[in-house]
Amino acid sequence: MGPESARYSIRINGHLGATVLSAFPALASRRHGAHTVLTGLLDRSALYGVLAEIEALGLELLELRQLGPASTTMDSTTKEGTP
Amino acid sequence: MARPTLRLIDRGDLLAALDRAAARKVTIISAPAGSGKTSLLRAWAGRPGQRHRLAVLQVQRDQHDAQQFWLALLAAVRQATGTGGGPEPLAATPEFNARAVVDRVRSELAGQGGPVVLVIDDLHELHSPDALAQLTRLLTSLPPSTHAILATRRDLRVGLHQLRLAGELAEIRGADLRFTERETCQLLAASGITLSEAGAALLHQRTEGWAAGLRLAAISLAGHPDPERFVAEFSGSDRTVAEYLVAEMLERQPADVQNLLLRTSLLDRVNGELADVLTGRPGSERILLDLEDANAFVVSLDPGRTWFRYHHLFGDMLRLELRRSLPEQVPALHLRAARWFAEHGQVVDAIRHTQGAGDWSAAARLLADYSFSLTLDGQAQTIQALLRAFPPGADHPELALVRAGADVIQGRLDEAAAHLAVAQAHAGTAPPDRQHRLQVTIASLKLSLARRRGHLAGVTEQAEFLNSPVTGQSDEDIALDGDLRAVALLNLGTVEAWSLGTAEAERHLQEGAALAKEIGRPYLEVGCLAELGFASKIHSFDITKARCREAIVLADRYGWGTEPVISPALITLGGALIWTGDLDQGEQWLRQAAQALAEDAGPGIRVLLHLATGTLQVSRGRLLEALEEFSAAEHLRAQLVGSHALASQVTSSMLIMAARLGRPGEARAFLAALDDERAGSGEIGNARAAISLAEGDPAAALDAVREVLDGTAPVLGYLTLVEAHLLAGLAHRGLGDQRAANQAAEHALALAEPDRPVLPFLMTGARELLEELPPHETAHAALLADILDVMRGSSLTAGGRHPSPPAEELSPGELRVLRYLPTNLSRPEIASQLSVSPNTVSTQIRSIYAKLGVRDRSAAVQRARELRLLSAGRTR
Repeated sequence: MGPESARYSIRINGHLGATVLSAFPALASRRHGAHTVLTGLLDRSALYGVLAEIEALGLELLELRQLGPASTTMDSTTKEGTP
Repeated sequence: MARPTLRLIDRGDLLAALDRAAARKVTIISAPAGSGKTSLLRAWAGRPGQRHRLAVLQVQRDQHDAQQFWLALLAAVRQATGTGGGPEPLAATPEFNARAVVDRVRSELAGQGGPVVLVIDDLHELHSPDALAQLTRLLTSLPPSTHAILATRRDLRVGLHQLRLAGELAEIRGADLRFTERETCQLLAASGITLSEAGAALLHQRTEGWAAGLRLAAISLAGHPDPERFVAEFSGSDRTVAEYLVAEMLERQPADVQNLLLRTSLLDRVNGELADVLTGRPGSERILLDLEDANAFVVSLDPGRTWFRYHHLFGDMLRLELRRSLPEQVPALHLRAARWFAEHGQVVDAIRHTQGAGDWSAAARLLADYSFSLTLDGQAQTIQALLRAFPPGADHPELALVRAGADVIQGRLDEAAAHLAVAQAHAGTAPPDRQHRLQVTIASLKLSLARRRGHLAGVTEQAEFLNSPVTGQSDEDIALDGDLRAVALLNLGTVEAWSLGTAEAERHLQEGAALAKEIGRPYLEVGCLAELGFASKIHSFDITKARCREAIVLADRYGWGTEPVISPALITLGGALIWTGDLDQGEQWLRQAAQALAEDAGPGIRVLLHLATGTLQVSRGRLLEALEEFSAAEHLRAQLVGSHALASQVTSSMLIMAARLGRPGEARAFLAALDDERAGSGEIGNARAAISLAEGDPAAALDAVREVLDGTAPVLGYLTLVEAHLLAGLAHRGLGDQRAANQAAEHALALAEPDRPVLPFLMTGARELLEELPPHETAHAALLADILDVMRGSSLTAGGRHPSPPAEELSPGELRVLRYLPTNLSRPEIASQLSVSPNTVSTQIRSIYAKLGVRDRSAAVQRARELRLLSAGRTR
C-alpha cells in the first residue's frame, strides 16, 4: 500500500448481499441496523475505485469517514461513533 | 406461451419538462445509475411529432480515446444532417488534430440552417480529459440553431458554470426523474399487473421511485401468481434494491436465459453467435431479441438488431453474480470471447478479454503484434489504455515494443530508443514464428525514429528488410507486413527526399503510395503522395504541381485537407506557384499550409515554409521581409541533425538578400564561417557573386560564378545556372560590356523557357538587365514579358475572382500566339518568332479576340490573365 493509505469506513444504505459484496474484496463488512458498513485500508486510487463501484451499482452512500492513518492497529470491527 | 412483458409508460410530465429544458442552449440530465435517463431520452427522441433533428451519441464504456469519441460524434451529426453519404467515411488518423475535428463538428452543425439537437448519453464514460476540455469548447460556442442535451451519472466539468451564469443551462436532476406514486400505478397497469393501492404504495416507497428498481420489480411481478406477497417480501427485506430485484428477476428466468445472461455479462456488447460460443449452445439470438422485446434491460445497438448491450447497472450485477457463482468459468469465458473477437478482426476486444482472463503474456504478445496496425488506425489512446491495464511490476518485454511505438508518436525520441533496445534484445529470444514480425516491427520503428531525427544513415541501415521477400506466412502476417512495408517506404522516401533530394526518394514514395492504396491505408497513401510532391522538386514545376495537386485532392476526399500529413504538398505547391510567378495562388496555399502544420512540426518542414514564404516576399519586392524569412530558415536548418536537401539554397538566398539590402559585410562574414564542402556549392558561388556585385566589384563576381557556369561546382538544379547567368550578366553590365550582358540574359532565358521559372530573375534583381535586352535579340520574348510583368508588380494570374470561361476554348496555336500579346512585338515579329506566316498570326489573333469577347490587344491580355490562360500554354 502506498504512503497515502488510510483506514476508511464507508456506510451504505441497505444490506449488501454476497453478490454486491464481491465487488469490494478489499473491505470487511458489518451490518449496522438497516445499513452496511465497509471498512478497510485503502490508498487514494483504491478509495476512488470503491466510490466508482458504489455509483455503478446504484448503492446509496450514507457516510464516508477516514478512521486514521495506516499505523493504527488493525481492528476488524468498528464500533459506531468511534473516531 | 408469450412471455409476460413490461410496458414502459409515457411519462408525459417529464417529457414536457424536457421540452421546456431543451429550449435553453444546453440541458444536462444528471442522475445516478438506473434513474431512467436513457429511457427518457429515447422516449423524447422517438415521440411522434418530434420536430427536431437529433444527433445522438451514446458514449462507449470507458472511452479513453478522444479521437474515437469525436469521430463517433461527427458521424452522429452527419447522420442527423443527412450528409452521411458525401465525403469518404471518417477515418481516424495517427496524428489527431482535435481542434480541426471540433471545428468541423461545429461547422456541420451550423451549416444546417435548421435546428439540430446534439444528444450525448453516458457522458460520464468519457474518461479522456482532453475530450472533455474540447467538448467544453464546443458547448460554450454552439452555433445559434444548435442545442445540446447531455446525460450523465455525475456532474462533470464541461463549462456548465459559464452556461449557468448566462442563463443558458437547464438541469434535470435525479429527484426530477423519480417515479411518482401515480406513475408507479400507471407502470403496473400498463404491464397488466394487478396490485392493490396499498401494495403499489409500498412498492413505490421501497424503491423510492427509482426507475430501475420499479422496472426490475415489474418484470418479476408480471405474470407472478401472488404480486402482493412479492411486494410484501421485497418491502420486508433489507437488501439493497438492485441486488434483491436482479436476483429475483434472474431466478424467474428459464435456465437457458439465466445461463446466457450470466455468461455474456462479461462482454461490453454481445451478438447471437458470440453468445452461442460462450453458452456452448445455439439459439442465443432468439433469447436476446425476446429480452429486448420484454424491455428486460437488453438493448440492441443497430437497426438490424444483431448486436446488443445490457443496461450498465444490470450488466454489472450480472457480472458480479457470475464471478460469485461460477468463478472457475470466468477465465475460460474471457478466453473464448477473446478468440472469437480475434477471429473476427476485433483486436482491441480480443486483447481486453485476454487481459480479463489474466493471461498477461498472451495479451502482451497480441498487443505487441497489433500495436502497429492499431496506431495506423488512429487508436493510439486506446493502446495507452490497454497498456495501463497491465499489472505493475509484471515485466513483459513484448510491451517495450508497444511503448516504443507510443513514444515515437508522442515525440519522446530518447525514450523510444531505449525501449527499442529492450525490444531488440527480447526479439532475439522469441520463437521463430514471431521473429520475423518482431524484427520487422522494430526495424520500422527505428526508421520512424530516424526520420523524425532527420538521420539518414540510420534510415538506410534499417531499410534492409525491405528487400527481404515476404515468405509463406499467415494472412495476418502478410497484412501486418503490408502495413510495415508501406510505413517503411514512406519513412525511407521522406528522409531521402529531405536529406538528399535524390531520385531514389521518388521511387520509394511511389512504391509506398501504390502499396498503401492496395492494402487500403488511405492515410499512408496521402502521406506518400504528399512527400512525393516535395520530392518532385527535382523535376519540372509542371510535374511538381501536378503531383502536389493529386495528393491534395486525395487528402480532401478524406477530410485531411488541413492535417499535418498533407503539409509538404501544400508548401511545395505554393512554392512552385510562386517560383513560376503565380503569386496570389501561391500565397493562398502557403496560408493553408501554415494552418495545417502541427504545433510540434519538425524543423525540416518549417525550413521549407520559411523558404517558400521568403520567395513570396522577394517576388512582391519586399526584400527586408524576405531576408527575415530566409534567416529564420537558415537558423532552423542549422539545428537539424542531418543535412537538408535545400540547405545550400536556404543559405544562398539569405546571403543574396543580405547583399542586395546593402549588407555585404555581414554576408561575407557568414561566408567565411562556412566549411569547404558547403562553400563549394554552386548556390554559394552565386551568393559570392551577389556579394561582390554589392561591393561594386563586378570582376570578382564574374570570377565567383565561373565554376558554376562551367559545370564544375555542384548545383541543386538548372535554376542555379539560370541565377548564375543573370549574375554574370549583371557583372558584364557593371564592366560596361553590354553585348556580353545581353548574351548572358539570353542564356538565362533559354534555360528558363521550358519550365518558366520567374523567381531567379527576381532573386538576382535583374530588372535592368532584362529591360535593356532588345526584343529582337531574344527568342524568348513572351517569357521576358511575363517576368517583367511580375517585376512591375502584377501577379501572373489575377487572383480572387472566378471569371466565366470563354465560350470556346482556344486552340494550342492560339494559345501560343496569346502569350506574345503582352509583349510589344508586332504581328510580323510574332510570326517570325513562331516560324509561321503573318497571315496565320492575324487569323489566330482575330479568333482569339472573338473567343475572349474583346476588341483590342490590351483587353485580350487582361482577359487572358483573368482566365489564367497565359501560363497555361506551353511551347514544347
